[in-house]
Amino acid sequence: MKLAFITPRYGTEVIGGAETAARMLAERLCQRPDWDVEVMTSCALDHLTWENTEPPGRSVINGVTVCRFPTASRRLLGYFELDAKLRVSPTTATLAESRRWVALNGPMCPDLVEAVAATDADIVACYPYLFATTVDGIAVSRVPTVLHPAAHDEPALYLSAFRQSFRDIDGFVYHTQAERELMEYAFAIGARPQIVLGLGVNEPVGAGRPGGDVLGIGDRPYLCYLGRVDEHKGCVMLAEYFERYKAGHPGDLALAFVGPVSDKAPDHPDVVVTGTVSEADKWDILAGARVMVNPSAYESFSLVLLEAWSLGIPALVNASCAATMEHCRRSGGGLWFESYRSFEVTVDRLVADGGLRSSLGEAGRQYTACYYRWSSIVDRYTRFLEGVVDRGHRAPIRSRRLQLAVGGPEYLRKG
Amino acid sequence: MAPIEPDPAAAERFDAADQALYLTEVMAEIDAEVRRRRASGDLPAGLEQELDELFLEFSPVGLHGKARLRETLALVDGSAYVDVAVPVESRKAVGSQIKRLIRKSMGWYIGFIVHQIVKFAWSVSRMFHVVVDHVEDLEAAVETQRTPELPASAVPANDPGSSWWSAEAVTAVSGVSGRVLQAECGNGSLLDALLAAGVDAYGVDPIESVIEPAVERGLDVRAESVLDHLEVVADEALSGMVLTGSIQWLHPNQRHRLVALATARLAVDGVLVLHSATPESWMAETSHLMSDLAPGRPLHAETWSHLLADHGFRRTGLTFGGEDRRLDRVLSSNPDASAINGAIDAVNALLLGPGEYLLVAVRER
Repeated sequence: MKLAFITPRYGTEVIGGAETAARMLAERLCQRPDWDVEVMTSCALDHLTWENTEPPGRSVINGVTVCRFPTASRRLLGYFELDAKLRVSPTTATLAESRRWVALNGPMCPDLVEAVAATDADIVACYPYLFATTVDGIAVSRVPTVLHPAAHDEPALYLSAFRQSFRDIDGFVYHTQAERELMEYAFAIGARPQIVLGLGVNEPVGAGRPGGDVLGIGDRPYLCYLGRVDEHKGCVMLAEYFERYKAGHPGDLALAFVGPVSDKAPDHPDVVVTGTVSEADKWDILAGARVMVNPSAYESFSLVLLEAWSLGIPALVNASCAATMEHCRRSGGGLWFESYRSFEVTVDRLVADGGLRSSLGEAGRQYTACYYRWSSIVDRYTRFLEGVVDRGHRAPIRSRRLQLAVGGPEYLRKG
Repeated sequence: MAPIEPDPAAAERFDAADQALYLTEVMAEIDAEVRRRRASGDLPAGLEQELDELFLEFSPVGLHGKARLRETLALVDGSAYVDVAVPVESRKAVGSQIKRLIRKSMGWYIGFIVHQIVKFAWSVSRMFHVVVDHVEDLEAAVETQRTPELPASAVPANDPGSSWWSAEAVTAVSGVSGRVLQAECGNGSLLDALLAAGVDAYGVDPIESVIEPAVERGLDVRAESVLDHLEVVADEALSGMVLTGSIQWLHPNQRHRLVALATARLAVDGVLVLHSATPESWMAETSHLMSDLAPGRPLHAETWSHLLADHGFRRTGLTFGGEDRRLDRVLSSNPDASAINGAIDAVNALLLGPGEYLLVAVRER
């Protein structure tokens, strides 16, 4: 069986939930003897510019064959203008407007789309829903096609371009039950073949150093955020809440933001911002944390939560995030906050109560071991894909391919 | 919530129910402490509101925001005021003076515009307050009419694949070209039979623990009620439905909704298979808890046929089965046979009879 993944960008350098998830799944799947896996992606690694930085053509990354195709355009500033307009009321945007939004969101890769149309794969898997490569890939695919939406409750999800595109999907693969409910609610796709798959957790590869040493804060206790440091990930809120918390609760508690910085890095004497770190540093920092905090309201899975739990580190999550709340409620491995007050009280409690931390961490560890082992996840995934292939490709309604947006100034990354 | 297939070895050690209980207790203590600190007023009210609005700013207000009406309204209220006093600070001394000059010279103009914007925003905000008050009144009224919950433990285990009617149900939907929904699928035994017959079937059942064996076998099953599920299915997306379980004792309003949804979601020529106990056997056989707390009662087969015909279905089959509790007539050699058999016939007709039936109908329009 041959599977072709379609992703907007791909590579070990890409830090992003959906893209990392696609890579992890592809790397596990290509180890199965009866499975041949290929990734079709763009030559870009930066989702804000779509600048072609990688050479086109075939390469092999961790055993996976990767075919890169150049983007036809960098991101235009017109995207941000249209996004601001549609964000207010996405359901009232016209189909033409919403398709233009998808085209402007990119990446537009005409050669990739041609390659999807001509693929010799038995099945195509698009990952995630938000990008032009997915919408165009679905439009031209002639073989059974599944979608890993990696969706969360955001304005773009309600654009009619996606509703039109998803009519041709043969199966849906979700990270969580919350994501499935959201997609079913938004697109009335309850009758389609689908599976809640999740992701597996890698074995920790820490070097055994104290996390505080890696962060340069010695033996101070610390909370840890792991991932892209970005306003939309709740980092500004977390930084402000922590600053307020420290004003009322002086002490040696620190907060570490670990990951690439998209916006302005938080600036506070008790806040450490590491930028991108190695895998070994990441695991060591995580292992030394009192609590792993994920303040994002927009997660479709949150692999870092499971990574923390695999080390027995308890979690603190945003109560308005359906995916992380689902993990916490099912596992009993984390607490949540829904206001500054509940953040303050919960942090107080978690920092002071070692027994509570141990109990939550252990529950999270058991939950991760129980549900998120790679071997069983890949078994279920292959069984699902085989079922989709057996059913064959839906009689496609065939939305048209997106039109390349041209003209206007390009977006340039600051710095 | 549909479970993800657990790793068998780890699953034995993981007691989710115990941990959920512990988590509930901890969060209740945290909530109590949050209320205490809010009441203490140790944070200025303005600052606390600002911090709460920061949370809302980064929270979705769509699907999962339904329960957050009041908080979202507070956000609307908070942003209904437009400040005309533009900040004039600047890193350059002259910059601040220029900004102050612009603010002063434009003040009357900006103030006039802003006054109208604020007036409009407050009118909208007031309207939302009225709407939210009405919604909350409605929610309270609906709550008083809610039927008591039927405990899951009172509902008998559902193993439709081993029932007398399973073969007939499979035959009824064999040959349809699209997907077939089986509700309530229980342990998935009927799904196995449907799949073996080449039917592209999937199942739903509201009790998560019940479907675990089906999940482990890799079947497409979801832990949700048939009504909830049909709400998220596109029109004419199904070619067949096999319904059993709680559809027998749905509340009349829910039953009406089920028929309407089944009609909409089934394609023309789609096949509906419905299994039910007869009203007589249900009253005699079910536990007191079940018969007292179930929101509705099973219907006679003729009543289902009538309801379905009203929605464009044509009945194509009706089979009675299950335990037949009818009394045998006495022999005619008995001198009182005539009187006794008359009484037996009356009892059989009114109280006893076949225990269950299977009704098959096709959507014609």
